[in-house]
Amino acid sequence: MASLAQEKRAPGAPSFLSGLKPGRASLIALAGLALVGAGPFVTDAYLTNTLIKAFFFGIAAITVDILWGYAGYLTFGQSVFFGIGAYSAGLVFTYQGFSGMSIALALGAAVGAAAILGFLAGWLSFYRGAAPFFASIISLVLPIAMSQLALSGGSFTGSSSGLTGFESFDFSMEEWFWIAGYSLMACGLLGWKLVNSDAGRILTSMRDNSNRCAYLGINTSAINTALLAACAIAASLAGFGYGSFSCVVAPELLGFSLGTEFIVWVALSGRGTLWGPLVGTVLFNVTSSYLSGSMPFMWQLLLGFSFVLVIILLPGGLIPLLARPFAVNKKSVPELVEARPGEKALPEKGWPHAIEMNRVYKKYGSLSVLRDITFHAESGELVGIIGPNGAGKTTLMRCLSDGGERTDGLVKIYGNDIERFPPEQCVRFGLGRKFQNANIFDSLTVAECLRLARSIKERPSFLEKKRTLALPPYVLDVLRLTDLDKKLPVPARDLSHGEQQALELAMVLALEPLVILLDEPTAGLTKAERTRIGKVLVSLARDHGLCCLLVEHDLDFVKEIATRVIVLHQGCIIMQDTVDRVVDSELVRSIYAGTDFYAGPGRKGLREGAA
Amino acid sequence: MNTALRLDQVSSGYGAAIVLRDISLEVGMDESIAIMGKNGMGKSTLLKTIMGYLPKKSGSVFLLGENISSWKPYRIARLGVGYAAQEHSIFADLSVYDNLSLGLKNLLYFKGRFDEILRLFPVFEDRLAQQAGTLSGGEQKMLLVARTLILHPKVIILDEITEGLQPSVIERLAAALVYERKRSGTSMLIIEQNIPFALKVADRYLIMKQGELIDRGNTGDPGAAASVLRHFQL
Amino acid sequence: MVFLLDCLTTSALLFMVTSGLMMIFGVMRIINFAHGAILGIGGYAAYVATARGFGPGYGWALALLAGLAAGAVVERLVVRPLYKRPLDAILATWGLGIVIIQIIVMGFGRGVQFIDAPIHGSTIVLGVSYSAYRLFMLPVAAGTSALLFLLLNKTRFGTKTRAVIMNEELAASLGINSELIRFLSFCLGAVLGTLAGALISPLFSVDPYMGIAWLTSSFMLVMVSGYSFISLMLTCLVFGAAQVVISSFVNPVLGGMTIAVLAATTLRLRSKGFSRG
Repeated sequence: MASLAQEKRAPGAPSFLSGLKPGRASLIALAGLALVGAGPFVTDAYLTNTLIKAFFFGIAAITVDILWGYAGYLTFGQSVFFGIGAYSAGLVFTYQGFSGMSIALALGAAVGAAAILGFLAGWLSFYRGAAPFFASIISLVLPIAMSQLALSGGSFTGSSSGLTGFESFDFSMEEWFWIAGYSLMACGLLGWKLVNSDAGRILTSMRDNSNRCAYLGINTSAINTALLAACAIAASLAGFGYGSFSCVVAPELLGFSLGTEFIVWVALSGRGTLWGPLVGTVLFNVTSSYLSGSMPFMWQLLLGFSFVLVIILLPGGLIPLLARPFAVNKKSVPELVEARPGEKALPEKGWPHAIEMNRVYKKYGSLSVLRDITFHAESGELVGIIGPNGAGKTTLMRCLSDGGERTDGLVKIYGNDIERFPPEQCVRFGLGRKFQNANIFDSLTVAECLRLARSIKERPSFLEKKRTLALPPYVLDVLRLTDLDKKLPVPARDLSHGEQQALELAMVLALEPLVILLDEPTAGLTKAERTRIGKVLVSLARDHGLCCLLVEHDLDFVKEIATRVIVLHQGCIIMQDTVDRVVDSELVRSIYAGTDFYAGPGRKGLREGAA
Repeated sequence: MNTALRLDQVSSGYGAAIVLRDISLEVGMDESIAIMGKNGMGKSTLLKTIMGYLPKKSGSVFLLGENISSWKPYRIARLGVGYAAQEHSIFADLSVYDNLSLGLKNLLYFKGRFDEILRLFPVFEDRLAQQAGTLSGGEQKMLLVARTLILHPKVIILDEITEGLQPSVIERLAAALVYERKRSGTSMLIIEQNIPFALKVADRYLIMKQGELIDRGNTGDPGAAASVLRHFQL
Repeated sequence: MVFLLDCLTTSALLFMVTSGLMMIFGVMRIINFAHGAILGIGGYAAYVATARGFGPGYGWALALLAGLAAGAVVERLVVRPLYKRPLDAILATWGLGIVIIQIIVMGFGRGVQFIDAPIHGSTIVLGVSYSAYRLFMLPVAAGTSALLFLLLNKTRFGTKTRAVIMNEELAASLGINSELIRFLSFCLGAVLGTLAGALISPLFSVDPYMGIAWLTSSFMLVMVSGYSFISLMLTCLVFGAAQVVISSFVNPVLGGMTIAVLAATTLRLRSKGFSRG
């Protein structure tokens, strides 16, 4: 029995719906279809009416969950897009009448306005260096401003009472129920497909660690903006449906209260689960429609209190808690295959320097951290950068990998001036950077981390999980050497420190970089792990022609593998030479090891002792 | 109570990484111990663990008779520890006066204690209003030591106080610490790479490598300098 | 002349309303999304006091006490447990703000209340007649900023607070209890908020949602100003003037959005805001 189950999960085994067992998924889908189909016949008119509205709200809640639960963008303003859809219907149908033409016009307005505003909000919210909660603030400003606009629109927007009684689709209640219900199901399914696809993992990864994403060449701002625009359009269409169904559009639909309610529903029913908010929104709306009649204020208060409590004590929400016993383990493992080598030729003679830094300065106010740094490194070299704490080693790495960092000077990667480009552009010039502390995606599995690192080489699919994972040969070597190839389904946060370091190295190498920056790759590793990493690095430089720049505290390690050493001290390069000559130099000995023997009895005593 | 600080089988590290493995050591009252070793061997991690900045993975720490294993840093400091970290260890935007007085329980102590400080570091005469960030590197280190001493701590913990300093400044710092020990019998735990300084200030030394204490000795022994230096050889 | 006074008093009001938010942001690096509700508490404190026939002084005292209580409760119950999860802290303060507003609605109803200004009529300033209470806001704002400046720069609490802001670990190594400093700063921020709510209430109406109207402007002002009260004051002057210009020459509704739009654009184009000069 056990072996059978294992066989089923073996890599490469066929599966129809990614993740979910096929039987279970279709069962849920069928049950949903049947429920929505039978719905109007078993509920009374009041409940049907409530449910239809709840279904439209549910679509908006799903977009909130994708934005917040998966991509980490806490938005109070999704109501704006919902309201835009509703107002598109209301305004067009009121002033243009109801016709085929006006339907198209209203739909076009709903999609267009939402997309434009979504892009604008994204442009304002997502930029490098923005505080993480800044986007949330903008998302709160948006609904407050938009409802103000609607309120001040006079008779055109109907001001505070909104627009009512416009002509709309002539559907029966049953038909509306089916339209809304199946739309919600379709949105849920589409969202589910998206967040579980390979591309969907990018969303989670940006939430976990947007800096690492940038250094994998992923343009997080653009992706966030595009996602926001897409979710804006979906919410707007839901609002369009809501407005057309209810024939009432009011400023409340644009306001922050509704936007907050979306958040409340998603938070209470379980962010980041998609089905939680889908079910939860419907349940909350139904409950609320009954209770808010009998005890309007108490119900709101209760909801508010439980919301705060859930955020503090149960960030995962309520519904996943109830469903935990039925959870399925849905980790599928891709099969590792060798990537076809890209058309990129190995660097040869006559190419520009792999790294060129010319008179680079970095200042914080009046403090110079780097001064007049000029050097170059070539393909196949393994250059060690050493120096005491605070010498500016990590700053040097930063200036090489992010055009916005340096105060002055020129940096070129294989002849490409990095100007003021962000890290993701530097990565596209062939740069890979491994950080000092393992910089990975905690909640992603090893396989997902690696797949993500390949995303600029191989565009990930939006709708499926690929069953193979193609990696360059030397990445496969690293994985085999460190036994990570046996841990593909393990979440990265459960790896040992050494394994995390190795994983990050493998991720950086998966970019197929020409130049690789390594900041203390052996810190905190055992002796055996250091030796292994050392071998990998030597082979990268010698056999694959990479240019490796290595910041290292451990001089023994540098001595073993480096071809050349640059010594930094107080922000200046004070020596560049072969390993042996640097190690033998009295200057380096004194400043690097800190054994700064000053003149006086101490020095004399030491010399005698050492002799 | 004749130990000032005792570590029992302490392990700690960052996240998943274990940097210190099963460290046990004892600093007696009136005793001064130097921990030496090359960079990246876990020395600063040890001090951060003692001060409560890093959670211990196992083991316990006793300070002046109290089990401080799960205490917050500010409580440990208030027990009578003067700790000087290696980096970012002064408030660059605050004045010299603010830096010196921040840790005092009562500002009334300041006048008298500052006079003591001036005897050790006359450079601070008339410079109380200066912004600490505008002091020279050596003066900043002197300020750091002065700020530690002005608290009259029972235990002093210093992390590479001599790094990047001129010999004359190092001499002055060593003299100040030796004087303070003579005056008040303070216990000390210092991390050093500067061997002569450490030998002058400490009674005993411990060598740390890869998160473990691998050697020890008395600084007064004739061959002490040589045996320490051996561990620094490249 | 009236226009100039409008600009000045608007800036003063903005500064008053924003300073509490700034206090909390400066020390704790989080935006208190319950700030709108806290302004509302202040407004209702003033309303309760004047409705019972007490003078404005009692209203302000009540606002102060209410702010202290609200700040203490929010910090202990919501902000401290979520200190390591700032996005959730924002969300929870927002949720709590909504709860507070609900409670106000339950206690006082949704209706709009009006409060008599403690200083009636108008004064002649430099040849023009101008609302005396609005003018009164100028010395109040100037006094508040002076007090805040003195508190942060000339007292031991201020030095400790600045030390915690600059380097929490280092402050702890000197025996400074940063949790306590954060708690006190949060309470101070809340008190500034309720006092501002009480002070502005005679100029505008009091209703449960009164704080929300100020929320966007004050959030954006804080984001643009960075962590310094001085730059907050300058930002209030510049953006306050812009708001008055747009409100009086274009459209009051657009005027209400001026600050948000200007601030968002400023931040987008110059991500450090005005904090660096």
